[in-house]
Amino acid sequence: MTNDLTPALSISHLRKVYHRGTVGIEDLSLEVGPGDFFGFLGPNGAGKSTTIHCITGIANPTSGSIHIFGVDAVKRYRDARRLIGLSPQEFNVDAFATPRDIVDWMGGYFGMTASARRERVDMLLERFDLIPHAKKNFRELSGGLKRRVMLARAMVHDPALLILDEPTAGVDVELRRELWRYLLELNRDGKTIFLTSHYLEEVERLCRTIAIVAGGKLVRHGSKGEFVGEPGGLEGAYLRATGAEPDRMAAA
Amino acid sequence: MKATPSGPIAHGPLVNWIGLWTIIRREWSRVMRVPIQAFLAPWISALLFIFIFGFVVGRRIALIGGHRYLEFVLPGILMMNIVNASFLQSSSQVYFSRFLRYVEEALVAPLSYAEMIAGSLAVVVLRAVITAIGILLIAAAFGATRIESVPEFLFWVAAVAVIFGLLGIVIGLWANNFEQLTILNVFFITPLSFVGGVFNTVGMLPGWLRWMAFVNPFFYFISGLRHSMIGFSEAPPGLGVGITLGLAAVMSVVVWRLYAIGYGLRE
Repeated sequence: MTNDLTPALSISHLRKVYHRGTVGIEDLSLEVGPGDFFGFLGPNGAGKSTTIHCITGIANPTSGSIHIFGVDAVKRYRDARRLIGLSPQEFNVDAFATPRDIVDWMGGYFGMTASARRERVDMLLERFDLIPHAKKNFRELSGGLKRRVMLARAMVHDPALLILDEPTAGVDVELRRELWRYLLELNRDGKTIFLTSHYLEEVERLCRTIAIVAGGKLVRHGSKGEFVGEPGGLEGAYLRATGAEPDRMAAA
Repeated sequence: MKATPSGPIAHGPLVNWIGLWTIIRREWSRVMRVPIQAFLAPWISALLFIFIFGFVVGRRIALIGGHRYLEFVLPGILMMNIVNASFLQSSSQVYFSRFLRYVEEALVAPLSYAEMIAGSLAVVVLRAVITAIGILLIAAAFGATRIESVPEFLFWVAAVAVIFGLLGIVIGLWANNFEQLTILNVFFITPLSFVGGVFNTVGMLPGWLRWMAFVNPFFYFISGLRHSMIGFSEAPPGLGVGITLGLAAVMSVVVWRLYAIGYGLRE
């Protein structure tokens, strides 16, 4: 049963150990409130993408539990996945397919009828300025256009929880700002957004709640106000939380 | 706009039919990007086999079980191509979806393992059937196409396609490079199909080697298909069907289990 207090995402004691014994995540617990714009920060290899992979079913968690709007992401994985849209960090698509097909197929996987898909795909291709590129092969597109296809694919089934893993990496300034506007619009309409980014300015501008991971562990979690109110703002708080010293970094 | 869901999250439909259909049409679009490799290559290969072994050599060979050699050898040629088409279809589908990582699109979607497997196998069977029809048409040009029992013929085409489709999925999940993808074909499928009675009866083999035919599943597949086409079989009636259905059931369970644990699919 969901109500206003049911978290959009609830992770409890999540642990992920890879086959060769590498620990990806160690005892990670956090909650993302419904309608929140949540920033998930950490240096490369901190466990951000691993956490996202466990949430979305790309990786099997070693232990712990994950709930999406109260639905167990392992035991009721099909129902949980209906609620999630993922824009991954890497371009995990058939490079010989067209943007229209890529977005349409994803809608099909989510059980959308042909007419619903057509309407939604047209809207998203228009929204992301992909119409002129809709029939090109994905591999022919520039990095920014590829990123837009990833975003359109993540949104095709209108998920309640949108997970964006570095969505603006390699994207030009204009598109980045356009995307920010769109994401804020979606969030204002009540969509929960879980964002990872290396651009602290982006996180500061968009997110209301922030968590920082380092070495597979959650090292800080709080409201944006708590972070930006510290000496050095969000960047200072981030560097301290991840074990770097802001002053020494600045001097370097 | 779907924001925060209210009320209990309902269970989705038992079968995601649209998702299943999407897997099929998506994979079919991939097959149709390489029509020469998918269809023309096996048809040309079959044409050469039919012409050389069936037509040129066959005219100098006496009747086998009352049948012309071309009629005798055609089911074997057909079976070799069905096996190859099925195995290559599913192994390449699974391997490339892993290699290019677009398998993740299916993993994050509300698709069951059974739907993913069924979608793959549907395309395998479709490709096998089209390959078979093409070869039958080629054989017809040499006056050799004869099918005694269409239902029996379709059973053997579909059942063997499913078995080798499932085997292809296992190899596609296991392989970490192109070489591993071809190992089974080179060292197992091709040799066993050649010694499974494509070109000869068991009676033509030396006595000490005949036992090998009876422990070779290809012998039962080829005999079964041959029976459906010309009514000639060396295998005990029913045994081939039993072995084939048993293999399909075992392979289905194995593949389902591999999907369930995420072998080769999930990190």
